[in-house]
Amino acid sequence: MSRQSLLEATLACVARYGLAKTTMEDVGREAGLSRATVYRYFPGGKDQLLAEVVAWQVGAFYGDLTRAVAGQRDFADVLVETLVFAHRAIEEHALLQKILDTEPERLLPMLTTESNRLLALVKQFLVLAMQRAPLRAGLDGDAAADYLARMLLSHIGAQGRWDLTDRAEVRKLVETQLLPGLLEQ
Amino acid sequence: MGVLDAALRCVARWGLTKTTLDDVAKEAGCSRATVYRAFPGGKDALFDAVGERELTTLFAAVADAVHAAADLEDALVGAITTVSARLQNHAALQFLLAHEPGLVLPQLAFHQLDALLARIRAFGAPLLARFIADDDEAARTVEWVARIVLSYLCTPAAGMQLTDDAAVRKLVRSFVLPGLLQPA
Repeated sequence: MSRQSLLEATLACVARYGLAKTTMEDVGREAGLSRATVYRYFPGGKDQLLAEVVAWQVGAFYGDLTRAVAGQRDFADVLVETLVFAHRAIEEHALLQKILDTEPERLLPMLTTESNRLLALVKQFLVLAMQRAPLRAGLDGDAAADYLARMLLSHIGAQGRWDLTDRAEVRKLVETQLLPGLLEQ
Repeated sequence: MGVLDAALRCVARWGLTKTTLDDVAKEAGCSRATVYRAFPGGKDALFDAVGERELTTLFAAVADAVHAAADLEDALVGAITTVSARLQNHAALQFLLAHEPGLVLPQLAFHQLDALLARIRAFGAPLLARFIADDDEAARTVEWVARIVLSYLCTPAAGMQLTDDAAVRKLVRSFVLPGLLQPA
């Protein structure tokens, strides 16, 4: 028995009962363990367990994202594929959508901590990808990566007036709002 | 209106969950019956009205800033700094973000954010008509700038204050103006 299998058991319980109703007993039963054993792994109780499940899922999302765009050489293509992939992943994540419908007040505060971490990860990833781009002379790379990471996460969370399932539109978004300040004109 | 201001003061003091209509009446110096008569829908209706009033007030302040601007850069910088300063000094909102985030973050994320962005576009695009002739381009710009403000509201950065005119001007010049089709 590992921490990971307890995280998986928790995810199964959340899918069935929701965030509010899932208990440590439920997780233990799902994993075939006593409540006391679950507490031994997660002394912080349900809050710790749920926080680790969210962190695990956000980390997995970030891993999938970097793999999805790994083949792209051109910086604009990296940004287009990032938006298309991430938007689709979120729309198709049945459990995430269910919780956003039924218990957003419980989920979103947990995602706040994660969004700081995700912003830092995406920034790091962009700094690397930007090394291959023809950047404008005198560009503050850190400020640019911060701006880009914020815009990517904002659009991934809510597409607003854009249709992020349409690659042509996504390319227009990238070419008009993400790149003009960064690249050599 | 006195009751709405009183409701905000209660939230700033002890949050939304603990605030009752009795608290609001006491704070407003009126009777419970007066509050119940004004808001037959109860606490939810009262706070819906508070939210609408605050959004309207915020929009009015942005409109003033944009009307006073000489060019597009000043309009965008004025809008961003005005909104940021008002949000930062909004005691009730800051209490909610710090202590009851579950009651405010859902409005600022995912599908509910789509709805908020649509309202912001509908309000803001006509304001920019002086600087950007194309309606669609104006709507795009408004949403873009709103996203910048909301990103820093929900995920503040240590080294960046959107209330700082010089810092915002640099951000707008570096990343926003180069991507805009102007002028009107």
